[in-house]
Amino acid sequence: MSDTLDMQLDWMDRQGEWGTQASPGKQGLTLADIQVGDYGETPEHSDNMTGRPRGAGARPDSYRIGGYSVRSKHEIWLDNASFLYEEALQRQWSSATDVPWDTIEPLPDDIEQAECQLATFLTEVEFVAGDVPARWISQTTPDYFEPRNVLLAQIMDEARHMDVFRKRALANGGGLMGATGGTAGVVGSIDLARDFTEMSSRLHISGEGAVLTIFRMGEMMAYNDAEKMMYRLCAQDEARHVAFGVMHMRYMSETAPERREEIECYLDEAERQILAGSQNPAGAQAESSESMAILLGGGKDKYDEGVNKLIAIRRRQLQEYLKRVRSAGFGDRFDNGRSPIKDMIAAAAA
Amino acid sequence: MAKFPSVAWFDAVRNVFNSDDKYQGAGGGKCDCILGVKVGKDEFLVTFEGFEVVQAEKTKNLGAADFFLEMAPADWKEMLKDIAANDGATLHYTLNTLDLDREEGLSHSLHGDQYREDLFFRYNQTIQFFFDASARVKTTY
Repeated sequence: MSDTLDMQLDWMDRQGEWGTQASPGKQGLTLADIQVGDYGETPEHSDNMTGRPRGAGARPDSYRIGGYSVRSKHEIWLDNASFLYEEALQRQWSSATDVPWDTIEPLPDDIEQAECQLATFLTEVEFVAGDVPARWISQTTPDYFEPRNVLLAQIMDEARHMDVFRKRALANGGGLMGATGGTAGVVGSIDLARDFTEMSSRLHISGEGAVLTIFRMGEMMAYNDAEKMMYRLCAQDEARHVAFGVMHMRYMSETAPERREEIECYLDEAERQILAGSQNPAGAQAESSESMAILLGGGKDKYDEGVNKLIAIRRRQLQEYLKRVRSAGFGDRFDNGRSPIKDMIAAAAA
Repeated sequence: MAKFPSVAWFDAVRNVFNSDDKYQGAGGGKCDCILGVKVGKDEFLVTFEGFEVVQAEKTKNLGAADFFLEMAPADWKEMLKDIAANDGATLHYTLNTLDLDREEGLSHSLHGDQYREDLFFRYNQTIQFFFDASARVKTTY
């Protein structure tokens, strides 16, 4: 009896909005379904430095938990973050069991070496693609948990991409080839971005957009169903990451137009370097572009044929990039002469 | 027995697709888009909503489609025969390969918005599963 009298129970008075009754829709109880009442209100600016879940009662005299630098909504928000997060959860796959590894058979040495070189390069790339968003998650206020969750799901995707290419390299009598260093320059410098949008424009739009095209083209380079499936499933994930970048840039453009010129500068840089330079496997990077040409052509002796296909890939890569940047709200740069992409497409077609 | 292309054929395929959970795993799952299919002059809209294909309809305007797949009737037939013979598309007949093999591509849109066109890539395995499900529908042409 005395135990009951000693109870404080003051926590019962400290709560968020009460009486909510979120209901599941056709697709279950999604994040969109729980955007009800105060819980669905995302502040334009967040002073939450204590890790308090959005909508929860504040804890008086709480010490700081996170050093959140991303506390303005336009810095990280996108309109469909909840949707992308649910999609990411639902469309996960296993590199162990969803890839039909038993369809791989011995390949000619030059083909196997080329496949392993590309797998080595892509493993390097995926390390960066996982590391970079990870850093920004801890920098973002919990009030913007939806985009944080998408980034967390992206890291799971990138881990799977790292492992699936490593598995491919080790599955058929080959192994990892020499590291290309392709991530040491501009790709590596994505991690030096001082701002989330700077990072996202480099990573999601330029970098992953380019890699998405490579993954899609992976089906053309596939010599068995395992490789075909591996590339196709990676491409699906990559397209989701690109969608994040496009929608974030669109939101930023609409809500913080004063930052448009700054974003144009990030795109200038990307077009000069990531899309044109050595970090693009379909660009001038010797190890990976040669290996792709060998895979596309069907061997070292059909290298020229492969190069022609590679040029076609490059053209598509640039066209898709251009249309994505237009979709994000920055299409003027292609019409006012600022961007060299149209010239690059023309050169790739010549 | 259903004739391709027709709403009855798409309905038969979506019934197979909607009733088998295997199409939701292995890279499939939640999918929200409107797929257009153009077979010669015949045009269709196929609506994916969550875990189901909820509707197939004939149309004269593919503008509502997030993306549409266009091939000559003979090429569609060749692809579907490969799927029927192998219980799924083989190496040279997947949608992605057919898209890449064509100079002009397989997937198009009337709106030109790459965000929406990218849904073909984002949901590629689900769209592939949908057409693979046609292996279980007796098809005439």
